[in-house]
Amino acid sequence: MALMITDECINCDVCEPECPNSAISQGEETYVIDAAKCTECVGHYDESQCIAVCPVDCIVADPNHGESKEQLHDKFLKLTATPA
Amino acid sequence: MNDIVALNKKDFETNQDVRWCPGCGDYAVLAQVQKLMPTLGIPRENFAFISGIGCSSRFPYYMETYGMHSIHGRAPAVASGLKLARPELSVWVVTGDGDALAIGGNHFIHAMRRNIGLKILLLNNRIYGLTKGQYSPTSELGKKTKTTPHGSIDRPFSPVAVALGAGATFVARTVDSDLAHMAQVLRRAAEHEGTAFVEIFQNCIVFNDGAYDAITDKSVRDDARLMLEHGKPLLYGKERNRGIRLRGLEPEAVTVGENGVTEADLVVHDEAADHSGLAFFLSQFDAPKLPVPLGVFRAVSAPAYEDMNNQLHADAEVRRGRGNLAGLFNSGDTWTIE
Repeated sequence: MALMITDECINCDVCEPECPNSAISQGEETYVIDAAKCTECVGHYDESQCIAVCPVDCIVADPNHGESKEQLHDKFLKLTATPA
Repeated sequence: MNDIVALNKKDFETNQDVRWCPGCGDYAVLAQVQKLMPTLGIPRENFAFISGIGCSSRFPYYMETYGMHSIHGRAPAVASGLKLARPELSVWVVTGDGDALAIGGNHFIHAMRRNIGLKILLLNNRIYGLTKGQYSPTSELGKKTKTTPHGSIDRPFSPVAVALGAGATFVARTVDSDLAHMAQVLRRAAEHEGTAFVEIFQNCIVFNDGAYDAITDKSVRDDARLMLEHGKPLLYGKERNRGIRLRGLEPEAVTVGENGVTEADLVVHDEAADHSGLAFFLSQFDAPKLPVPLGVFRAVSAPAYEDMNNQLHADAEVRRGRGNLAGLFNSGDTWTIE
Protein backbone atom coordinates (compact mmCIF):
# COMPACT_ATOMS: atom_id res chain seq x y z
CA MET A 1 0.00 0.00 0.00
CA ALA A 2 1.05 3.53 -0.54
CA LEU A 3 1.10 5.66 2.60
CA MET A 4 -1.07 8.65 3.45
CA ILE A 5 -0.93 11.53 5.90
CA THR A 6 -3.95 12.01 8.16
CA ASP A 7 -5.32 15.33 9.36
CA GLU A 8 -3.36 14.87 12.60
CA CYS A 9 -0.42 16.32 10.64
CA ILE A 10 1.09 19.41 12.25
CA ASN A 11 2.99 20.52 9.16
CA CYS A 12 6.37 20.16 10.79
CA ASP A 13 8.06 19.37 7.48
CA VAL A 14 10.23 16.64 8.99
CA CYS A 15 9.05 13.92 6.59
CA GLU A 16 9.38 15.79 3.31
CA PRO A 17 13.16 15.73 2.98
CA GLU A 18 13.35 12.10 4.17
CA CYS A 19 11.30 10.63 1.32
CA PRO A 20 13.62 8.89 -1.17
CA ASN A 21 10.93 9.09 -3.86
CA SER A 22 10.12 12.81 -3.39
CA ALA A 23 6.51 11.75 -2.91
CA ILE A 24 5.79 14.17 -0.05
CA SER A 25 4.89 17.80 -0.52
CA GLN A 26 3.15 20.63 1.24
CA GLY A 27 -0.56 20.41 0.51
CA GLU A 28 -3.28 22.93 1.08
CA GLU A 29 -4.01 21.97 4.70
CA THR A 30 -1.32 19.47 5.62
CA TYR A 31 1.54 17.66 3.94
CA VAL A 32 0.42 15.08 1.38
CA ILE A 33 1.83 11.91 -0.18
CA ASP A 34 1.60 11.28 -3.90
CA ALA A 35 0.47 7.65 -3.98
CA ALA A 36 1.92 7.25 -7.47
CA LYS A 37 5.39 7.88 -6.08
CA CYS A 38 5.17 6.19 -2.68
CA THR A 39 6.74 2.74 -2.37
CA GLU A 40 6.68 2.71 1.46
CA CYS A 41 10.45 2.96 0.92
CA VAL A 42 10.53 -0.52 -0.63
CA GLY A 43 13.69 -0.64 -2.72
CA HIS A 44 15.39 2.10 -0.68
CA TYR A 45 15.12 1.22 3.00
CA ASP A 46 13.83 -1.50 5.31
CA GLU A 47 11.35 0.82 6.97
CA SER A 48 9.28 3.76 5.80
CA GLN A 49 11.40 6.82 6.50
CA CYS A 50 8.49 9.21 6.95
CA ILE A 51 6.82 7.00 9.55
CA ALA A 52 10.11 6.72 11.39
CA VAL A 53 10.52 10.48 11.72
CA CYS A 54 6.91 11.66 12.12
CA PRO A 55 6.57 13.15 15.62
CA VAL A 56 2.81 12.66 15.77
CA ASP A 57 2.45 9.26 14.07
CA CYS A 58 0.04 10.57 11.48
CA ILE A 59 1.32 8.54 8.51
CA VAL A 60 -0.61 5.33 7.83
CA ALA A 61 -1.24 2.89 5.02
CA ASP A 62 -3.62 4.34 2.46
CA PRO A 63 -6.62 1.99 2.25
CA ASN A 64 -7.43 3.32 -1.21
CA HIS A 65 -4.12 2.19 -2.61
CA GLY A 66 -3.75 -1.49 -1.76
CA GLU A 67 -0.44 -2.78 -3.15
CA SER A 68 1.64 -5.84 -2.37
CA LYS A 69 5.37 -5.68 -1.60
CA GLU A 70 6.01 -6.95 -5.15
CA GLN A 71 3.87 -4.23 -6.66
CA LEU A 72 5.66 -1.63 -4.56
CA HIS A 73 8.97 -3.01 -5.74
CA ASP A 74 7.80 -2.78 -9.36
CA LYS A 75 6.83 0.81 -8.70
CA PHE A 76 10.30 1.43 -7.26
CA LEU A 77 11.90 -0.02 -10.40
CA LYS A 78 9.76 2.17 -12.62
CA LEU A 79 10.47 5.29 -10.58
CA THR A 80 14.22 4.70 -10.58
CA ALA A 81 14.50 3.47 -14.17
CA THR A 82 16.85 5.51 -16.31
CA PRO A 83 15.02 6.77 -19.40
CA ALA A 84 16.31 4.98 -22.48
CA MET B 1 31.96 33.12 -13.09
CA ASN B 2 28.88 33.09 -10.96
CA ASP B 3 30.06 32.57 -7.41
CA ILE B 4 26.66 33.05 -5.80
CA VAL B 5 25.55 29.75 -4.34
CA ALA B 6 21.81 29.25 -4.30
CA LEU B 7 20.68 28.34 -0.79
CA ASN B 8 17.83 26.03 0.06
CA LYS B 9 15.88 25.11 3.17
CA LYS B 10 18.40 22.45 4.17
CA ASP B 11 21.08 25.12 4.47
CA PHE B 12 19.12 26.63 7.34
CA GLU B 13 18.63 23.40 9.28
CA THR B 14 21.02 22.46 12.06
CA ASN B 15 22.10 19.03 13.21
CA GLN B 16 20.39 19.52 16.57
CA ASP B 17 17.50 17.28 17.59
CA VAL B 18 14.47 19.52 17.77
CA ARG B 19 13.26 19.34 21.35
CA TRP B 20 9.72 20.52 21.19
CA CYS B 21 6.92 18.16 22.18
CA PRO B 22 5.59 15.96 19.40
CA GLY B 23 2.65 17.85 17.93
CA CYS B 24 3.84 21.32 18.94
CA GLY B 25 2.89 24.19 16.64
CA ASP B 26 6.46 25.48 16.79
CA TYR B 27 7.58 22.91 14.21
CA ALA B 28 5.39 24.44 11.53
CA VAL B 29 6.74 27.92 12.26
CA LEU B 30 10.33 26.68 12.11
CA ALA B 31 9.69 24.95 8.78
CA GLN B 32 8.16 28.05 7.24
CA VAL B 33 10.97 30.30 8.47
CA GLN B 34 13.58 27.86 7.13
CA LYS B 35 11.78 27.85 3.79
CA LEU B 36 11.61 31.62 3.65
CA MET B 37 15.26 32.36 4.45
CA PRO B 38 16.84 31.10 1.21
CA THR B 39 14.35 33.09 -0.87
CA LEU B 40 15.29 36.48 0.57
CA GLY B 41 18.51 36.93 -1.35
CA ILE B 42 20.46 37.48 1.86
CA PRO B 43 23.73 35.60 2.49
CA ARG B 44 23.33 33.09 5.30
CA GLU B 45 26.04 34.72 7.37
CA ASN B 46 23.96 37.91 7.45
CA PHE B 47 21.10 36.38 9.41
CA ALA B 48 20.91 36.40 13.20
CA PHE B 49 18.21 34.84 15.36
CA ILE B 50 17.93 36.15 18.90
CA SER B 51 15.61 34.69 21.52
CA GLY B 52 14.81 35.03 25.19
CA ILE B 53 13.51 32.17 27.33
CA GLY B 54 10.69 29.77 26.69
CA CYS B 55 9.79 26.98 24.30
CA SER B 56 9.79 29.30 21.30
CA SER B 57 13.17 30.65 22.38
CA ARG B 58 14.83 27.36 21.44
CA PHE B 59 14.49 28.58 17.87
CA PRO B 60 18.09 29.78 17.35
CA TYR B 61 19.41 26.26 18.06
CA TYR B 62 17.56 25.00 15.02
CA MET B 63 18.53 27.76 12.61
CA GLU B 64 21.87 27.34 10.82
CA THR B 65 22.56 31.04 11.18
CA TYR B 66 24.21 33.22 13.78
CA GLY B 67 22.10 33.58 16.87
CA MET B 68 21.85 33.89 20.60
CA HIS B 69 19.61 32.34 23.22
CA SER B 70 19.69 35.41 25.42
CA ILE B 71 18.07 36.65 28.61
CA HIS B 72 14.43 36.16 29.58
CA GLY B 73 12.39 38.98 28.06
CA ARG B 74 15.49 40.81 26.85
CA ALA B 75 15.83 39.49 23.34
CA PRO B 76 14.69 42.80 21.79
CA ALA B 77 17.40 44.63 23.78
CA VAL B 78 20.16 42.23 22.69
CA ALA B 79 18.86 42.28 19.13
CA SER B 80 18.67 46.09 19.11
CA GLY B 81 22.33 46.27 20.11
CA LEU B 82 23.24 43.91 17.32
CA LYS B 83 21.21 45.79 14.74
CA LEU B 84 22.84 49.10 15.71
CA ALA B 85 26.34 47.63 15.56
CA ARG B 86 25.70 45.71 12.35
CA PRO B 87 22.79 47.38 10.52
CA GLU B 88 23.37 45.29 7.40
CA LEU B 89 22.26 42.10 9.20
CA SER B 90 18.77 40.66 9.02
CA VAL B 91 17.99 40.33 12.72
CA TRP B 92 15.10 38.19 13.92
CA VAL B 93 13.67 37.88 17.41
CA VAL B 94 11.70 34.80 18.32
CA THR B 95 9.71 35.10 21.51
CA GLY B 96 6.52 33.97 23.20
CA ASP B 97 3.58 35.40 25.10
CA GLY B 98 5.39 35.08 28.43
CA ASP B 99 8.81 36.21 27.25
CA ALA B 100 7.59 39.21 25.24
CA LEU B 101 4.57 40.34 27.20
CA ALA B 102 5.17 39.44 30.85
CA ILE B 103 8.84 39.72 31.86
CA GLY B 104 9.79 41.38 28.57
CA GLY B 105 6.90 43.82 28.13
CA ASN B 106 9.17 46.80 28.61
CA HIS B 107 11.71 45.83 25.95
CA PHE B 108 8.97 44.76 23.61
CA ILE B 109 7.15 48.10 23.55
CA HIS B 110 10.33 50.11 23.17
CA ALA B 111 11.47 48.11 20.16
CA MET B 112 8.14 49.01 18.52
CA ARG B 113 8.41 52.64 19.56
CA ARG B 114 11.87 53.04 18.05
CA ASN B 115 11.03 51.27 14.81
CA ILE B 116 14.36 49.49 14.83
CA GLY B 117 14.89 46.97 12.04
CA LEU B 118 14.01 43.77 13.87
CA LYS B 119 11.60 41.05 12.78
CA ILE B 120 9.80 39.97 15.93
CA LEU B 121 7.91 36.68 15.83
CA LEU B 122 5.74 36.13 18.89
CA LEU B 123 4.58 32.54 19.17
CA ASN B 124 1.44 32.93 21.24
CA ASN B 125 0.14 29.73 22.83
CA ARG B 126 -1.66 31.57 25.66
CA ILE B 127 0.13 29.55 28.34
CA TYR B 128 3.54 29.08 29.94
CA GLY B 129 4.54 25.85 28.28
CA LEU B 130 8.19 25.43 29.25
CA THR B 131 7.33 25.70 32.96
CA LYS B 132 4.49 23.23 32.47
CA GLY B 133 1.28 25.15 32.26
CA GLN B 134 0.81 28.40 34.16
CA TYR B 135 -1.40 31.23 32.87
CA SER B 136 0.18 33.92 30.71
CA PRO B 137 -0.73 37.54 29.83
CA THR B 138 -2.77 36.23 26.91
CA SER B 139 -4.62 33.47 28.80
CA GLU B 140 -8.34 34.09 28.75
CA LEU B 141 -10.39 35.19 31.77
CA GLY B 142 -11.55 32.26 33.85
CA LYS B 143 -8.85 29.94 32.54
CA LYS B 144 -7.91 27.21 34.97
CA THR B 145 -4.18 26.52 35.09
CA LYS B 146 -1.71 25.36 37.74
CA THR B 147 -1.43 28.90 39.09
CA THR B 148 -5.10 29.78 38.62
CA PRO B 149 -6.92 26.75 40.07
CA HIS B 150 -10.16 28.73 40.44
CA GLY B 151 -9.88 30.40 37.05
CA SER B 152 -7.84 33.44 36.02
CA ILE B 153 -9.05 36.87 37.09
CA ASP B 154 -6.33 38.61 35.03
CA ARG B 155 -7.72 40.21 31.90
CA PRO B 156 -5.67 39.18 28.86
CA PHE B 157 -4.39 41.70 26.35
CA SER B 158 -3.91 41.43 22.64
CA PRO B 159 -0.25 41.44 21.52
CA VAL B 160 -1.38 43.15 18.31
CA ALA B 161 -3.06 45.92 20.29
CA VAL B 162 0.01 46.36 22.50
CA ALA B 163 2.28 46.61 19.44
CA LEU B 164 -0.02 49.13 17.77
CA GLY B 165 -0.30 51.14 20.97
CA ALA B 166 3.49 51.31 21.10
CA GLY B 167 3.56 52.73 17.56
CA ALA B 168 4.56 49.67 15.54
CA THR B 169 4.83 50.27 11.79
CA PHE B 170 4.22 46.66 10.77
CA VAL B 171 1.81 44.45 12.65
CA ALA B 172 0.44 41.14 11.45
CA ARG B 173 -1.07 37.95 12.78
CA THR B 174 -1.10 34.43 11.43
CA VAL B 175 -1.68 30.90 12.67
CA ASP B 176 0.59 27.83 12.81
CA SER B 177 -1.79 25.60 10.88
CA ASP B 178 -2.24 27.82 7.82
CA LEU B 179 1.04 27.34 5.98
CA ALA B 180 0.35 29.44 2.92
CA HIS B 181 -0.86 32.35 5.03
CA MET B 182 2.07 32.10 7.42
CA ALA B 183 4.54 32.07 4.53
CA GLN B 184 2.96 35.16 3.02
CA VAL B 185 2.90 37.09 6.31
CA LEU B 186 6.49 36.16 7.17
CA ARG B 187 7.65 37.36 3.77
CA ARG B 188 5.91 40.70 4.26
CA ALA B 189 7.58 41.02 7.67
CA ALA B 190 10.99 40.16 6.23
CA GLU B 191 10.67 42.88 3.62
CA HIS B 192 9.53 45.62 6.02
CA GLU B 193 11.93 48.39 6.98
CA GLY B 194 11.84 49.03 10.71
CA THR B 195 10.27 46.83 13.36
CA ALA B 196 8.05 44.12 11.92
CA PHE B 197 5.87 42.39 14.47
CA VAL B 198 4.10 39.10 13.76
CA GLU B 199 1.88 37.34 16.27
CA ILE B 200 1.61 33.64 15.46
CA PHE B 201 -1.21 31.72 17.07
CA GLN B 202 0.51 28.51 18.09
CA ASN B 203 -1.06 25.44 19.60
CA CYS B 204 0.56 23.99 22.72
CA ILE B 205 -0.54 20.41 22.43
CA VAL B 206 0.40 19.51 25.99
CA PHE B 207 -0.69 22.41 28.20
CA ASN B 208 -3.27 24.34 26.16
CA ASP B 209 -4.40 22.06 23.37
CA GLY B 210 -7.19 23.38 21.19
CA ALA B 211 -6.73 27.05 22.19
CA TYR B 212 -7.34 28.06 18.59
CA ASP B 213 -9.75 25.34 17.47
CA ALA B 214 -12.44 27.89 16.68
CA ILE B 215 -10.30 29.50 14.01
CA THR B 216 -8.43 26.43 12.77
CA ASP B 217 -11.08 23.71 12.67
CA LYS B 218 -12.16 23.35 9.07
CA SER B 219 -15.84 23.00 9.89
CA VAL B 220 -16.16 26.28 11.80
CA ARG B 221 -13.16 28.49 11.05
CA ASP B 222 -14.54 30.44 8.10
CA ASP B 223 -17.23 31.91 10.33
CA ALA B 224 -14.80 32.66 13.15
CA ARG B 225 -11.93 34.33 11.36
CA LEU B 226 -11.52 37.34 9.14
CA MET B 227 -8.74 37.27 6.55
CA LEU B 228 -7.52 40.85 6.13
CA GLU B 229 -6.76 41.99 2.61
CA HIS B 230 -5.55 45.49 1.86
CA GLY B 231 -8.09 47.52 -0.07
CA LYS B 232 -10.80 44.87 0.24
CA PRO B 233 -14.00 45.01 2.29
CA LEU B 234 -14.00 43.11 5.59
CA LEU B 235 -15.80 39.98 4.38
CA TYR B 236 -15.77 36.54 5.96
CA GLY B 237 -17.88 33.43 6.49
CA LYS B 238 -18.30 30.13 4.67
CA GLU B 239 -20.46 31.84 2.08
CA ARG B 240 -18.29 34.98 2.10
CA ASN B 241 -21.43 36.93 2.88
CA ARG B 242 -20.68 38.06 6.41
CA GLY B 243 -19.08 41.44 6.83
CA ILE B 244 -18.16 44.22 9.25
CA ARG B 245 -20.08 47.46 9.21
CA LEU B 246 -19.59 50.49 11.41
CA ARG B 247 -22.36 52.15 13.35
CA GLY B 248 -20.57 55.24 14.50
CA LEU B 249 -17.57 53.71 16.23
CA GLU B 250 -19.35 50.45 16.97
CA PRO B 251 -18.40 47.50 14.78
CA GLU B 252 -21.21 45.25 13.80
CA ALA B 253 -21.23 41.84 12.08
CA VAL B 254 -23.80 41.89 9.30
CA THR B 255 -24.92 39.62 6.47
CA VAL B 256 -24.62 40.96 2.96
CA GLY B 257 -27.92 40.59 1.13
CA GLU B 258 -30.02 40.78 4.28
CA ASN B 259 -31.85 43.88 5.54
CA GLY B 260 -30.62 45.87 2.59
CA VAL B 261 -26.91 45.43 3.49
CA THR B 262 -24.59 45.51 0.48
CA GLU B 263 -20.83 45.15 0.17
CA ALA B 264 -20.59 48.91 -0.18
CA ASP B 265 -21.71 49.25 3.46
CA LEU B 266 -18.71 47.31 4.77
CA VAL B 267 -15.47 48.71 6.14
CA VAL B 268 -12.62 48.52 3.62
CA HIS B 269 -9.30 47.39 5.06
CA ASP B 270 -6.48 49.89 4.77
CA GLU B 271 -3.21 48.62 6.23
CA ALA B 272 -1.38 51.73 5.03
CA ALA B 273 -3.57 54.31 6.79
CA ASP B 274 -1.57 57.11 8.45
CA HIS B 275 -3.20 56.53 11.82
CA SER B 276 -3.50 53.13 13.42
CA GLY B 277 -7.17 53.59 14.27
CA LEU B 278 -8.60 50.90 12.01
CA ALA B 279 -5.82 48.46 12.91
CA PHE B 280 -6.39 49.03 16.62
CA PHE B 281 -10.10 48.64 16.20
CA LEU B 282 -9.51 45.28 14.44
CA SER B 283 -7.14 44.19 17.20
CA GLN B 284 -10.09 44.28 19.61
CA PHE B 285 -12.14 41.79 17.63
CA ASP B 286 -12.62 38.46 19.33
CA ALA B 287 -14.80 35.44 18.86
CA PRO B 288 -17.63 34.70 19.20
CA LYS B 289 -19.07 38.20 18.84
CA LEU B 290 -16.72 39.27 16.06
CA PRO B 291 -14.40 37.23 13.86
CA VAL B 292 -10.70 37.02 14.75
CA PRO B 293 -8.66 38.96 12.14
CA LEU B 294 -5.63 37.31 10.52
CA GLY B 295 -3.26 39.05 8.14
CA VAL B 296 -1.54 42.42 8.05
CA PHE B 297 -3.19 44.94 10.36
CA ARG B 298 -0.78 47.75 9.64
CA ALA B 299 2.15 48.35 7.30
CA VAL B 300 3.38 51.91 7.04
CA SER B 301 6.69 53.42 6.17
CA ALA B 302 8.72 55.35 8.75
CA PRO B 303 12.43 56.03 9.23
CA ALA B 304 14.22 53.05 10.75
CA TYR B 305 16.09 53.67 13.98
CA GLU B 306 19.39 52.25 12.72
CA ASP B 307 19.35 54.62 9.74
CA MET B 308 18.66 57.60 11.96
CA ASN B 309 21.41 56.46 14.30
CA ASN B 310 23.90 56.18 11.45
CA GLN B 311 22.94 59.63 10.21
CA LEU B 312 23.34 61.06 13.69
CA HIS B 313 26.86 59.69 13.91
CA ALA B 314 27.80 60.81 10.41
CA ASP B 315 26.53 64.35 11.06
CA ALA B 316 28.38 64.56 14.37
CA GLU B 317 31.59 63.42 12.71
CA VAL B 318 31.26 66.13 10.07
CA ARG B 319 30.71 68.77 12.75
CA ARG B 320 33.23 67.65 15.34
CA GLY B 321 35.52 65.14 13.68
CA ARG B 322 36.07 61.54 14.55
CA GLY B 323 35.55 60.70 18.23
CA ASN B 324 38.36 59.69 20.56
CA LEU B 325 37.16 57.72 23.56
CA ALA B 326 40.45 57.77 25.45
CA GLY B 327 40.67 61.50 24.86
CA LEU B 328 37.14 61.97 26.13
CA PHE B 329 37.85 60.02 29.30
CA ASN B 330 40.85 62.20 30.02
CA SER B 331 39.30 65.54 29.21
CA GLY B 332 37.31 68.15 31.10
CA ASP B 333 37.01 68.08 34.86
CA THR B 334 39.49 65.38 35.87
CA TRP B 335 41.40 64.92 39.09
CA THR B 336 43.74 62.51 40.79
CA ILE B 337 43.01 60.90 44.16
CA GLU B 338 46.14 60.60 46.25
